Parts: sequence; C-alpha cells; structure tokens
Amino acid sequence: MNNNNSIPPTPASPKPVAPVSEHTAGFSGYFPTWCPGCGNFGIWQALKMTFNKMKFDPDRLSIVFGIGCSGNMNDFLWANSFHALHGRAIPNAIGIKIANHDLPVVVIVGDGDCYGEGGNHFLHAARGNHDITVIVHDNRVYGLTTGQVAPTASQGFKSKSTPQGIIEVPVNPIALAVSQGATFVAQGFSGDMNQLVELIEKGVAHKGFSLVNIFQPCVTFNQINSYNWYRDRIYKLTSENHNPRDLNSAWQKSQEVTEKIPLGVVYDVDRPTYTDSLPQLSGKPLLDSALNIDLAQFINDFV
Amino acid sequence: MIDITVKIGGEAGFGIMTTGLLLGKIATRSGYHAFEYSEYPSLIRGGHNVIEVRISDEKVYSQQKQVDILLCLNLETFNKHASEVKEGGIIVYDTEKIPESKLNKPDVNLTYVHVPFVSILQEHKLSTVMLNNIALGALMHLLGADLNILNAAIVENFARKNQEIIDKNILAAKLGYEKTQKEMPQGYKLKLPKLKNIIPRLYISGNEMIGLASIAAGCRFYAAYPMTPTSALLHYLASQAQNCGMVVKHAEDEISVINMALGASFAGVRSMIGTSGGGFALMVESVSLAGITETPIVIVMGQRPGPATGMPTWTEQGDLLFVLHAGHGEFPKILLAPGDVEEAYKLTITAFNLAEIYQTPVFIIGDKYLQESHQSVEKSIIEGYKFKIDRGKLLSQEELSKLTEYKRYLITKDGISPRAIPGMKGSLHQANSYAHGEDGHTSEEADVRIKQVEKRNKKAQTFLMNDFQMPVLYGNRQTPLTLISWGSVKAPILQAMSKFKDKFNYLHFSYLWPLDKIKIKSLLSTFKKTLLVENNSGAQLGQLLTMVTGLEFEKKLLKYSGRPIYPEEILDKISFST
Ligand SMILES: Cc1ncc(C[n+]2csc(CCOP(=O)(O)OP(=O)(O)O)c2C)c(N)n1
Ligand code: SF4
Ligand SMILES: [Mg+2]
Repeated sequence: MNNNNSIPPTPASPKPVAPVSEHTAGFSGYFPTWCPGCGNFGIWQALKMTFNKMKFDPDRLSIVFGIGCSGNMNDFLWANSFHALHGRAIPNAIGIKIANHDLPVVVIVGDGDCYGEGGNHFLHAARGNHDITVIVHDNRVYGLTTGQVAPTASQGFKSKSTPQGIIEVPVNPIALAVSQGATFVAQGFSGDMNQLVELIEKGVAHKGFSLVNIFQPCVTFNQINSYNWYRDRIYKLTSENHNPRDLNSAWQKSQEVTEKIPLGVVYDVDRPTYTDSLPQLSGKPLLDSALNIDLAQFINDFV
Repeated sequence: MIDITVKIGGEAGFGIMTTGLLLGKIATRSGYHAFEYSEYPSLIRGGHNVIEVRISDEKVYSQQKQVDILLCLNLETFNKHASEVKEGGIIVYDTEKIPESKLNKPDVNLTYVHVPFVSILQEHKLSTVMLNNIALGALMHLLGADLNILNAAIVENFARKNQEIIDKNILAAKLGYEKTQKEMPQGYKLKLPKLKNIIPRLYISGNEMIGLASIAAGCRFYAAYPMTPTSALLHYLASQAQNCGMVVKHAEDEISVINMALGASFAGVRSMIGTSGGGFALMVESVSLAGITETPIVIVMGQRPGPATGMPTWTEQGDLLFVLHAGHGEFPKILLAPGDVEEAYKLTITAFNLAEIYQTPVFIIGDKYLQESHQSVEKSIIEGYKFKIDRGKLLSQEELSKLTEYKRYLITKDGISPRAIPGMKGSLHQANSYAHGEDGHTSEEADVRIKQVEKRNKKAQTFLMNDFQMPVLYGNRQTPLTLISWGSVKAPILQAMSKFKDKFNYLHFSYLWPLDKIKIKSLLSTFKKTLLVENNSGAQLGQLLTMVTGLEFEKKLLKYSGRPIYPEEILDKISFST
C-alpha cells in the first residue's frame, strides 16, 4: 500500500464549470471537482436519476450535506440544501423533518462524518426512526483531509494517521443500524448504478429511518478497497437468499463483511416514525402552525 | 410595612421545595409580593436543602439575610440557620426527632414551637411525602393565613390523584395547623393581615417565564439536554408541548440539540434551545454555523459556577465573556440578560424577533438565581404587554414569486438578506457552512469573501441603529454613586435601593452585545463615582465595558462563592466606600 505519492484531491471550492439555470436543470449543479474515477461520481448520478425518477421538485426536496469529499456534492446537486458541520448533518436533517414532515429529507455524508465524528447522532436517529434517508459514502478513508483512516477501514490499514496500520477493528455500519432500531438498511456499490437507484429510491420512499451504505472507491487514498476488490466480493441479496423483514436473517447478512459482501436491502420493517408519533403534528406540518396563541390558559397556571 | 422571611430546611427528598413553592403561591394569592431563593446540593436524597420565601406587602426584589420563621425538618437546619433568625423570631422543629441536647440555641429572644411531625405521620398513618403539608399547615397558622387557601392549593396540586390522597394531604395540613395553634403563645405579632386590595399576580420562576414567553413568541421547537439550571425550562415546555403545539426534543447531546434547532429554523420554525456552560461549550462550533448560515436561533444560557462540572445547583455570572466570544470566526451575535421575571418575559419575546430580523444567534443569559427562583409579578404586566411577531426579511410565497432570481445571501445595505423557506416555490437555495457567495454556493474568491464578511458585520451596525437598547438607570440621577451591573444582580441592588433611595443609583445592562460604544462611553463618563457589582471573580462586565469604552472601573463588589449577592452586602460595601 503506497499512499505517499498520491495526488491530493482538488480543493473544496468548485469552479462553476457549467453554470445552469437552477430551475431548469433538474438536480444538476456544477460539474464535480472529485478526482477522475472517484466512486462519488456514481453516487451523484444515481441520486440525480432517483430524484428525477421520483419526480421530486428541487424546491421541495431538502438535502443536508456533511463535510468531506462526499459533502462537496452540495455544489453539484441542486436542491434546498443545508451544508452542515462535519459530523452534524443528521441532527440538522431531523430538525428539518420535524419542522416540515412533508419534505423528503436526505443526508449525504462520508463514513468519517457519519460513523466517527457524528456516530452518536447516527445511533439516536436510528432509535428515533426519524424519517430521513442517510446516504453514506463508505470509502474507508478520510478523503478530503488527504487520506487518514476512517472508522470503516479494515484492521491493519495503513494511512497517513496510522502508518503502522490501524489497531481498531472497523465499525460495522449495517449491524450498527440494524441493532439500533433503523427500519430500513441497505448496502450499495457505486460501481452498480442501476442497483443504487433502486436502493436509494426504496430508502427515500421508506417511512422511517433509512440507511444506504454505499461502497465508494477512493481512487486516490485507498489503493486496497478498489472497484475490483469489491467486485471480487460482492453478491446480491434476492428473495431466494434473504428475507429483509426477518431480523435474524438481517443480522446474519450484516456479519458478512470480508469474504462475501451482500448488496441490496438487508433490513426493511415498519415502525411509526418520530413525527407520526407526535399528536402535535397530526394535522399539518409544524411549520404551518399558528404563531399567535391565546396565552390565558398558560398564564393562569401561575396564578 | 410587612416583610417576613420564612426559611424551611431539611434533607433532600422530603418535599421541602414544594413546601416553599406552595407557601409563595399562597402568599401571592393572598395579595402579597413574594420572592423565593433555594439552596440545595446536587443530590437526590440526603444532603441539606433549604428554601426561603420572603413575603411583603411592598415589592420584594430579592432574598434577605435575616429570617423570621425557621422551620427545621432536621437537626442540621437548626444548627446551621438558627443564628440567622432575628430577635422575636420563631423556630419550629420536631422535638421528638431533634434532641434538645444537640441544639445550638442562639442568645436572642426566640419563640420555639414544637411540632412532632414524625409522630403525627405515624399516628394518622400518613406517608412521609405528606410531611410537607404538616409543615405548611403549621406555617399557615404562624402567618395567620387562611387554611382554605392551602386546601385549595392542595386540591389543585393533586388534581390528577384520587380523592383519598387529596383528603389525606388536607388532613396533614389541618393537623399541622392545629398542633401549632396549641403550641403558640397567645397574641404574638408575626401574622400576615388580610389584605383588602388583592392585585392578581403570577408566582413564577425565570425558567417558567422564559418558557411562557417562548410560547407567546411563536416558538414551536425547543430542544435541550438536561442541565441545571435550565432543566426546568425543558420540563415546563415539555409539559405544555401538546397544549401549545410545540415540539420539545430531549436530544442525545448538546451538539445535536443546537443542530436540530438550526435544521428546524432553516425549515422555517421559530426555535429555541437551553443549556448551561458545560453544554454550551459543546454547542460552540454550531453557534458559528448559525453565524455563517445566517440561521436564526434563540439560545438560553443558564449560568452556574464552573469550571467544568463546577457547582451544578449554585449560581454565578461567570460565562459572560465566554458567550461573547463563543464561536470561531467573525460574525455578529446578540446577547441579552434579563434581571427579573418581567424582563425575562419581554426579552425572550424580543429575542425571537431579533433572531429572525438579524438572522443570527440571540442569547438569553440567565443563571440559577434568576431561573430557579420564583417571584411574584403583576398579572396585568404580562397580559398587557403588547408585542408584534416580527419575522424580519422572511419572504412570503407572494414576495418570493415576484423575484426573478432568489439569492439567499444577497448583498444588501443593512447586511440582511431576504430569507426563503425550503418547500416554497422558487426557494431553491443552500445554507452553507463553507464561505459562499450570494447564491449560497461555496466560494473562496477574495472579493466574494470580503463582501460576505462585511455583509454579516453590517448586521451589528444595523442592530445598533434600530434595536439596541441603552442600559436603564434606576433611582435618582443626582446621587453621588452609581452601581453598575447586569442580569440577575439587579434583584439585590434594587432591594438595597428600596431602603436607601438617595445613597446610590443603578445602571442596569440587559442588552450586552453589540454595544454602542459612543453612547455608552458618554453615559459612563457622566457618573461621579461607580461601583461595579458582579456575581463572578473577573468583573466580566467591567472587562467588556473597558474593552468597548477604554474606561476603567476601580471599585468593585465581586462575589463568587456560588451564592447570590445579598442586599445587605451591597449596603455594607457602600457605607464602607462612601
Ligand atoms: C470538527 C471538524 N473536524 C475536522 C474537520 C476536518 N475534516 C474535514 S472532512 C474530514 C473527514 C472526511 O472524511 P469522510 O467523512 O469520510 O468524508 P470523505 O472525504 O471521505 O468523503 C475531516 C476530518 C472538520 N471540517 N471539522
Ligand atoms: S474520495 Fe478519494 S477519489 Fe474521491 S475525490 Fe476524494 S480523494 Fe478523490
Ligand atoms: Mg470517507
């Protein structure tokens, strides 16, 4: 493994390669500044295809971006978006959903952002079954900060921050999500766009917390987990080999992380969402509730 | 003038706080002014709790040192506080539980009243949680108050419980009342006379008042992670959430708290969060996010003594400069610090307007002393306060539809850009934590950077022009000495002033940032002598004023024991320094 003479990624600030009118362009923003061959391209295309396929209106779609090469998609994908702090996209997304549960809310984050810096938020968002879709770009490295280990890196992975190899074992995103109460858990590969579109669509359509963990080769800082490395290991989940409504089967699939790695919907169950469980929100979105309120009943409590 | 302080002490877990609360409420209902102050350690059981309620027929602003009636539910209360009881005062205690041999009785003339709380409980098969009602019954007699008012309060308090529990509590109060009646010598004077004119007042804590104001102001999302002294705000709003259509979220940590609120605010809902110093420290990065994304948010920062976990249940004003400087990078923020519950109401409502007008974080800086103390306030002041909900440059769908192009960070003269809400037709934009241009897209170009920095800075100038309020001068302008302070220290200062009207006046800062340098400097320059009074060791307001005006403050009264300043300490300091 040789990361020393790798090219650094292009800077965070994109040049407007192809400025487009925001209202006619569907979801297309500026042309990405990712390294040629980066797995992020596939995810980007799949997202745009899904949103078009689902006939979403960019005005009525909310995306929260994390900070990382993945999060830089904020300028390449037009929607009403919030570019968050590193690790904090999930709570922003939950806030948006609570404020206006009629908007689809999608979170686009890196593995460092979601499972490292923001790991606590991830657990609690799953427990709460907040109706948001978290798309994780799992490249097993920190891309934007030029190649340190991510929490998903295999044990022993050598990087700028772990030149002797990482001591910790990797987090298991799928097992984590399944065990913490996520109601939709899927795994995709940025080299398989058709399946990605299907998984993202299912995730976004799902009512409740959905995770789509996507293997995303970082061609610059991860020479090990390349497209071919994944292709040698992945296989598809089908109704013959898996029942996503069965927790035991989902758990078993979540443990397949080295030799054979499953792609597809690992877990898919129903549970009331957070906003559906709030009587305050049964009529209309919080956003539309009246600001003026008769205070008498509240004041009289203190007399 | 009637001015009675009742102090109740005992082990934590025996309902002492409820006793104090009900006493203050009953006094308020009877037409008196009341102020409560409590001291308790960060423990659930054991430890020493005291609550004191000051009751007067004139306005009371704060607690005082001398006690008229001390009710001891344990030996520690007696021995720690008996010396505070003034000549002619009363000490009530349980002779069967507190052995005479262990008492340190002070050398002044006091009346001792023996009420066997424990054996009353046993005799009538009442549970220990009803002990506080025996105590209240005893106090009702001592104060000459009507037992029926207490009975009504008990019925209200236990409205959700069954009749048997209500009856037992009422019985407990009656037993306490009757036992005290038997014990008291005839014709003693300490009673509260029945007032003819009963002005309706609320008896309310700072936390509750901030909560009430947020409901009035149209706040519909409140997030918090429990932390004294702001937890009670979470409890209050959580209890009212369904009644007022608010979503109240106890999130997994303070970082999530502030980011959920920023998300909700971005999506168009008025949002508030509450915490204390330690929790706020976790939020700081996101305060900066609010600054650059220009997302409105109201942050209640209840101070308690730090550093670190510090003294969780005590009071201090040690975080003014921390809040002032919180958040990396340069962006405007607005700091407000209410001095009492009336200000807490008005400033909280103002905070929501300012947050949306300036699209930036607005702080309500409180402390344990203000937030946890209950005090009485005229109902008509709260009911009669007229305000308008001002959402600043938030665009309506109609206004947005008229625009040919929507730019979230449009450069404007006042630094404030029109704000659209996701979901509106034509609202497409991004709120960006990276430096960005007018359209919200990331940009590192020098000229774009400069323009956006200047745009954000401009908001502070606009605030100073349109919304800044100068500090208020209380008292006679001509007195030779001016006390200067902020926030909750207003209480003991005004209390001290009510006794010695011509000794000093008081300059009260409740708008703490941004400050109008020129106006403040010229105002401060008119004072002959000043005394800075603060509940911290660093004279933080003094430092802030020196930073802004260049003026130095020589004389200071600083207290940092975790206890609030007493009016007596202010008067001592003044007679010493004049
Ligand atoms: C609080 C904070 N810490 C550190 C950083 C620096 N930082 C930016 S992106 C990043 C890691 C990115 O890795 P990942 O989330 O996996 O995204 P990727 O670039 O791999 O898509 C770090 C550490 C930051 N922006 N904020
Ligand atoms: S993830 Fe890797 S390949 Fe992709 S842009 Fe970042 S550094 Fe380049
Ligand atoms: Mg990564």
